[in-house]
Amino acid sequence: MDVSGEAVIAHLFPQRMNIYGDTGNVITLVRRLEWRDLPVRVDLVPVGVEYDLLEADVVVAGGGEDTSQVEVARDLSERAGNVHRAVEAGVAFLVVCGTYQLFGRKFVASDGSELPGIGVFGADTIGGRGRMIGNVVVESDLGRLVGFENHGGRTRLDSGQPPLGRVVKGSGNNGRTGEEGAVVNNCFGTYLHGSVLPKNPGFADEILRRGLERRHGPTDLVPLDDTLELAAARVAAGRP
Amino acid sequence: MAGFFSRLAGRGGSAVPGLIAEKIDPRTIEKLVASIPGGVVIVTGTNGKTTTTKMLVTALEHGGTSVLTNPTGSNLARGVTTALIGASRRGRVRGHGVAVFEIDEAAVRTLAPRLNPELIVVTNLARDQLDRYGELDTAAAHVGVAVAAARRAVLNADDPAVSALDDGRTAWFGAAAPIRRTMPHDRVLYGSTDPDAPAVALDATLEGVERSGDGQRIRVAIGGAVRQAELQVPGVYNGYNATAAVLAAAEFGVAPQEALAALEQMPPAFGRGQVVIYRNRRVRLLLVKNPAGFNQALRLLVDEPDPVDVLVAINDNHADGRDVSWLWDVRFEDLAGTPHRLGTTGIRAADMALRLKYAGVEAWAEPDLGAALDRIVSEAPEGRLVYVVPTYTAMLALLDRLLPGTSRAEAWT
Repeated sequence: MDVSGEAVIAHLFPQRMNIYGDTGNVITLVRRLEWRDLPVRVDLVPVGVEYDLLEADVVVAGGGEDTSQVEVARDLSERAGNVHRAVEAGVAFLVVCGTYQLFGRKFVASDGSELPGIGVFGADTIGGRGRMIGNVVVESDLGRLVGFENHGGRTRLDSGQPPLGRVVKGSGNNGRTGEEGAVVNNCFGTYLHGSVLPKNPGFADEILRRGLERRHGPTDLVPLDDTLELAAARVAAGRP
Repeated sequence: MAGFFSRLAGRGGSAVPGLIAEKIDPRTIEKLVASIPGGVVIVTGTNGKTTTTKMLVTALEHGGTSVLTNPTGSNLARGVTTALIGASRRGRVRGHGVAVFEIDEAAVRTLAPRLNPELIVVTNLARDQLDRYGELDTAAAHVGVAVAAARRAVLNADDPAVSALDDGRTAWFGAAAPIRRTMPHDRVLYGSTDPDAPAVALDATLEGVERSGDGQRIRVAIGGAVRQAELQVPGVYNGYNATAAVLAAAEFGVAPQEALAALEQMPPAFGRGQVVIYRNRRVRLLLVKNPAGFNQALRLLVDEPDPVDVLVAINDNHADGRDVSWLWDVRFEDLAGTPHRLGTTGIRAADMALRLKYAGVEAWAEPDLGAALDRIVSEAPEGRLVYVVPTYTAMLALLDRLLPGTSRAEAWT
């Protein structure tokens, strides 16, 4: 790899938004680079800390408790311009659950209170009665994805907003439209945690490939032995 | 009516009589509780409930009080009702001076006000099985309702999620700084508060922990003196549990040195550090339910001076938590570089092996629990210590092999 010689993964809100094993996504990206002898650095970006996302190749953020989501919404509104520029420039993003919701236009809680999002995705999320909990299987352009969902918010995509994929099993964005997640450029939003990347190595590599291309040029990611990854995904896909 | 049900309950120990009684007289719990002279103690929290309950019962009985308690695993309303009815005749609890109930943090909000507790002990509050318990903030709010319903509280000063529940009627337990730093509470684990010293004066302090045989030697400062005890249960977290139990027993007039002497005689609760002999190997069972608990179990493994064989058994049934993503919040990276050999089993054996792979730890995967147990034991030299680290339903399934001839009801009490 050339340019700066080092892949940079930015972990947004590592303390506030990590309740569903979201760290696993970062660990997966790091290891899959290390196993290919590609140098990698992780930048932790807590709430309120200034950081230029254009300096990262991949940005990862996860889900949090309600109180955290309020703080994160405030933080995101301050870095919204930088996030939009990074998404347009082709930085790869993986935003899960709570952060995915805030990458839409807004989150309206069941009591009517509203959290503003930053509108990367053409989507609104409405809080609802009853949570959608369970293992999920999604068919996407990147292949079959397997994860676990646990969310009360129902996300509706605009008609022009492509989803990440369609649920074969589970609820996805809202339990009605069959859509799961959202994609804009190299920015992927999803409700799949569990963590999503360890059991979906193809998705992990696609995020790395797309993220690295902008600053490092086309990157050849040599195939790894993913037998165990795929075995774990197969088991998860068969569980309730 | 109650007499009929108590005979039923006495035979089986099942939760069914509790359910029937609840339907017939919804105030069964309140009426029976009122007849217990010393009242009720509730033990709740995320980890350590079972061991702390057992320790407190042991200390109180050593002090000469007959204690009514609920069997492990029956820590919801039905289990409590069944225990009360089983001990009652003609509408009164007979032969017990006090009741100590372990209560699940999901049930404690509604149950505590009905039990009119004299005392509540809160061990710790950590993130646990989000698909069942919801967010930590929610669980803490539930336990807060229970604390408000009790006349006195014994709270963990080192866990900010617990100490925040104080409403001025608290006896505090905690540990000296060097020990406290080895036991980061959940908020520190997830980085949202700093691990500074608690702002309150401790009534009981865990001053020292030191390995000793299969257990440990602890030192506890309470009532102006530092006292020592040899516990049969290992792990710093059990030092905390013992400190909480001694402090709670003191609330009922049991002298700390008497309580500690009683704890020395107490074997581990089932699956909580218990050692069983299986095919000439010593097998230590460590139940795990959440990242905080698993990190505590890992510390025992990392501190093992000699190589051990470790079988991690992960199921994802309802009682285990269906979401296994929490495995990514456990610091398995600490195992890399240890001389231990690892295998994984259970429904989610592949997930567990995958987590270990990304932690840089080699492990085999054999989903069949029986086959995996045979393999780990066959590969371990005779006399070697084998750790089995299962989730709840995996532990129940392994029980039949590890303790043949023992009924589940017996093993749980």
